[in-house]
Amino acid sequence: MSEVKLLTHEIGSLAKPPWLVKTSAGRPLDESDIEHARAWGERFGVEGHEELVELLGREDRDPHEVARWSSRYCVRLQESAGVNVVWDGEQQRSEMYAWAIAHANGFEPRGTVRSFDNKYYSKSAATGPVSLREPYHNEEFSFLRSVAEEELKIPVTGAYTLAVWSYDEHHLPQQGRLGAGLSRADEIKARRELTLDIARNLIRPNLEALIELGATWIQIDEPGASTESDELDIFVESFNVSVEGLDCFFSTHLCFSDYDLFFPAIEGMSGCRQYCVGFANYDTRELGTGEDDRPGYHVIKKFRDLTYEPILGLGVLDIHTDFVEPPELVRDRILYAAEVFGDPARLHICPDCGLRTRSWDVAYQKLQNMVEGTRLAEEALNRAHAGAR
Amino acid sequence: LQAFVPGIYPRSEALVQATRDLDRGRTTPEAVDEQVERDLQALVSVQQEAGLDLLADGMLRWQDLFRPLVEASEGLETGALTRFLDTNTFYRAPSTNGGRPRLRAPLDERLVAPLPGPRIVTLPSPFALSNGTEVTPQAIAEGVLKPQLDALEADLVVLAEPFLAREEQASLEGLAEALETLTGGPRLALWVTFGSAERLLEQGLAELPVDGIGIDFYATGIDAVPQGFEKLLLAGVLDARNSTLEEPREIGAFVSSLHARGVEEIALVPNGDLQYVSESIARQKLVRLGKAKTATAEEAA
Repeated sequence: MSEVKLLTHEIGSLAKPPWLVKTSAGRPLDESDIEHARAWGERFGVEGHEELVELLGREDRDPHEVARWSSRYCVRLQESAGVNVVWDGEQQRSEMYAWAIAHANGFEPRGTVRSFDNKYYSKSAATGPVSLREPYHNEEFSFLRSVAEEELKIPVTGAYTLAVWSYDEHHLPQQGRLGAGLSRADEIKARRELTLDIARNLIRPNLEALIELGATWIQIDEPGASTESDELDIFVESFNVSVEGLDCFFSTHLCFSDYDLFFPAIEGMSGCRQYCVGFANYDTRELGTGEDDRPGYHVIKKFRDLTYEPILGLGVLDIHTDFVEPPELVRDRILYAAEVFGDPARLHICPDCGLRTRSWDVAYQKLQNMVEGTRLAEEALNRAHAGAR
Repeated sequence: LQAFVPGIYPRSEALVQATRDLDRGRTTPEAVDEQVERDLQALVSVQQEAGLDLLADGMLRWQDLFRPLVEASEGLETGALTRFLDTNTFYRAPSTNGGRPRLRAPLDERLVAPLPGPRIVTLPSPFALSNGTEVTPQAIAEGVLKPQLDALEADLVVLAEPFLAREEQASLEGLAEALETLTGGPRLALWVTFGSAERLLEQGLAELPVDGIGIDFYATGIDAVPQGFEKLLLAGVLDARNSTLEEPREIGAFVSSLHARGVEEIALVPNGDLQYVSESIARQKLVRLGKAKTATAEEAA
């Protein structure tokens, strides 16, 4: 067996720095914002970050230019932490739902709805046939390709999540529902129509445009995939419709669900070459590689047994907490998964989800420890293989 | 015919921004308090202008249906962030820490606001608050809800019940016992939100020891309502999970159909918390609820 090498990548969003948030909102910066840009620029080794410091001192600074600087910082954050496949953590996008909807025809904004506590999201309604107004990740991808030194991947919000996070004023009947006892079958039929409309006419042409530009790894984010347990076949169908016949490495990201729900539905999702899934959120912080030590990871056996043998993007960092996982804990989570899978080549290592809710300081420490823990796991696996020879 | 809006009402865009700013350290709790007051005044005004019969405070400070009572009680703790039904909104699922639940002190005026007129207050039903915990609805009713009810002055207390309609194995027996514990204070209504009440009605939902029953008529067919329904029927005629605005005439025709089935006392309400639409949509729906009530009453006269 050749030497074990485990690939690491970040999942998605990273926090936007205060100098970007304030600039986007048209608010003045203070000295601490400038110092933030200076200090992190030095720490991440961002080439020419002095230009940003100078730019931030100008009142007529262009928010798009500041956002591109933020992209540079986040790419370097990951690269300097040692992550193998990088992205800019959504620095140039408004947010994963709003950005896609803003570039689509067939939707109208319907205001802000609570996600939880003081967290909210903008929600739109499907009001007509869906189509792509313009490819909405091309500019970002082209820019990042000019910046990144490591391999790039591009996350794209998936069709089912866009559908289930929207109201549907187009496919559901507008009148005659009151007291009619609309059946679940009627709701599912409407959801299928909307989801497949988005998959065919928004996601797929956007993917085609990215591939045309040279994208080789596209991650289709589906955090809403398990919202309705009786609609998982729609999620699967929409993924297949989105990617079928396209030449690219497609992965998907699922998070914070009862993952058992996805089986057997995803047995039919063979175009997905990697499932990036969050497990650390459900695991203990104790060290150990035994079955009882890793309760958050038991479900990975089901991903292992998928007949088309996708890679598992193993979530090893809990993104909901500032607790920085020690490298040894990351190592043990990986070693448990490697034992279950039998083939380390089917494992990639990543956080549970995007680290947007963590400060750069915490996110950076977590990613550094993820990389270090991965190195420790590689050493252990290589020692074991050498011993077995 | 009455109309009112129980449940959690959405925050205005200004309050959304204020609470976001608070989380990011960009504003003060006092500034958020001031915006909550402005939201509350606006909500009261729109209810009064719409001609609603009982005023609600919109539960604007409640982070979810359970949190204030859980945090005010011994024996209960806030648990994992959990998806609310099939929405993209999450709540902290109540959990137990081994002790018998007991309300330390009733919720204060920040959480149950005084209002300039007859009012409704919404609380979680004993089944909903005990759901997923190791305690019974009866224990929740005795230890938490009863002392809260005893401290309340309200013309109607609506007990929101989002889970029962989706629990295929649920029995009404334990809930009936718990609700019995809560009688003797303000009038009570059990509001079965976001789901078909058909099976529950077959099991005797209408016989529970409360003064009113709330039904989601976007998920429940009118034929499920028993002939000669004798309680106050909280008819869920606004779809709180859909941005489409309801037609007052359609609601009026529906009320006529309910009357034809022998339902005499009807209150028009949403089919669940309006917080699942934005404040601007909720406000328009609320206005239409008032129009539906007025038009229906005028037609009857």
